[in-house]
Amino acid sequence: MDCPACKNPMIVLELQQVEIDHCVACGGIWLDGGELELLLEDEKRGKLLIDSFKQAQSSKERLRPCPICLKKMHKINAGQENHPVIIDRCPKGHGLWFDRGELSQVLAKGTLDKDRKIIKLLAEIFDKDKCEAKNDS
Amino acid sequence: MAVVLGTLGWVIGMAASPDPMAGVFGLVIALIVWMILAMVSFTGGDAILLASSKAVPVTKDMHPQLFNVVEEMAIAAQLPVPKVYVINDPAPNAFATGRSPQSASIAVTAGLLGRLNRDELQGVIGHEMSHILHRDILFVTVAGVMLGAITLIAEVFLRGMFYSSMGRRYSSRGKGSGQAQAIMLLIAIVAAILAPIMATLLYFALSRKREYLADAGSARLTRYPEGLACALEKISQNTVPLSVANKVTAPMYIVNPLQKEGMKLSDLTSTHPPISERIKILRSMSGASFIDYSDAFKKTTKLTAPIPSSALTAEKPVSVRGSSSPQTSATAKSQQRSIGDIMFKTNGFSFVNCSCGLKMKIPPNFTASQVKCPRCGQVLPIS
Repeated sequence: MDCPACKNPMIVLELQQVEIDHCVACGGIWLDGGELELLLEDEKRGKLLIDSFKQAQSSKERLRPCPICLKKMHKINAGQENHPVIIDRCPKGHGLWFDRGELSQVLAKGTLDKDRKIIKLLAEIFDKDKCEAKNDS
Repeated sequence: MAVVLGTLGWVIGMAASPDPMAGVFGLVIALIVWMILAMVSFTGGDAILLASSKAVPVTKDMHPQLFNVVEEMAIAAQLPVPKVYVINDPAPNAFATGRSPQSASIAVTAGLLGRLNRDELQGVIGHEMSHILHRDILFVTVAGVMLGAITLIAEVFLRGMFYSSMGRRYSSRGKGSGQAQAIMLLIAIVAAILAPIMATLLYFALSRKREYLADAGSARLTRYPEGLACALEKISQNTVPLSVANKVTAPMYIVNPLQKEGMKLSDLTSTHPPISERIKILRSMSGASFIDYSDAFKKTTKLTAPIPSSALTAEKPVSVRGSSSPQTSATAKSQQRSIGDIMFKTNGFSFVNCSCGLKMKIPPNFTASQVKCPRCGQVLPIS
């Protein structure tokens, strides 16, 4: 699969049976449909989170194609009203695209991730990445 | 369906010329078209269907459990072991194809393998195996091709009509026969429109009946109707449509791959019986024999079961066995991963394991010769 943002081929990362598509070039994350629920280890909570996603009113972000079906993805607000996190969702339900850091922002919201296990896991996977990003800037 | 095909050919022939022999000529043409298509489908139909579904053959060491289950069901059905294919699609589904039990193939999607436990997989494979046992695979191929022939002839005629209508005025013919021909032409147009619809409805009705029969066969082969019931339940919860299926291949699958969410299942145009009904019948079975299925069918639908009476009379009772595979969410996850890895391998991915525990799966179009582990920063070569 190619990265919807920068078109480079994405690599698949697996840690503790959590599998995500990751773009080495831009640091974005692609989650296949149903992968977020697997990540949260609870279909109900996953569904709750996905149901809370709203169509973003206006977004200056460029529309991106779904890496599976190449249909233009919808801009979705996955954060709060006052603190929006704009992610991309395939209209056919193939998956979700998170730019660098967006996934942890979404999961940090509310009590979805009580034991903060996933954030820890994500931080663990991308710890080095973030440090380097800071160093770069 | 052959009648619909023949009538269509005859009517179009009559419309083309007032000569009574023209009707016969049209009929012959229709049959020739069908025969050519039938021959193609008979010799290479399964290969075409498998190729168009993007199915890849799997070996025993890739997925031992699947092979195990297939072999088990082949022994139970007293059939040779069919070839096994996997379709890389997240939508759970399965189908069987081939022209005889000796040259049959079973294809399952990666989504199915990733979601079902052994008992459920057995139920699905049992269902496909009874399609092979009942020779439904040949039926679907031949009926599907006949449907294709009818659609083709009707389409060619209608398009031909449209484009030749301008040239027609130059032909000079007697007035009397011209009127009769005009009427015949009208009938031909109506027939060309109706024939594909009628043939489709027939095709669908026939395939619905066969699904019930295959369910009954699966219950008998596995002696565990709950397995198939659970599998159907899991499959029906899926919301991703199968991207490789189309209208002609749809009846082959265990559940209708083109089903949209929220659509009413029990209508005339459905190739499959409603899943809820199939599950209800399977769950209300007291044993695992055809008689038990037939009784359960009568209880749930108030109709006679589509099982031939010959199968019911000379049958010994078959008892239901217990469940064999309890499943936790942890094993379900690792199962889904291992299936994913198989699909990655068949697609030419290379695997890089970092010493920090992170597993990276590199696509074949990834050009760099090394990759940096995003977790620990180690630079690893791609083999």
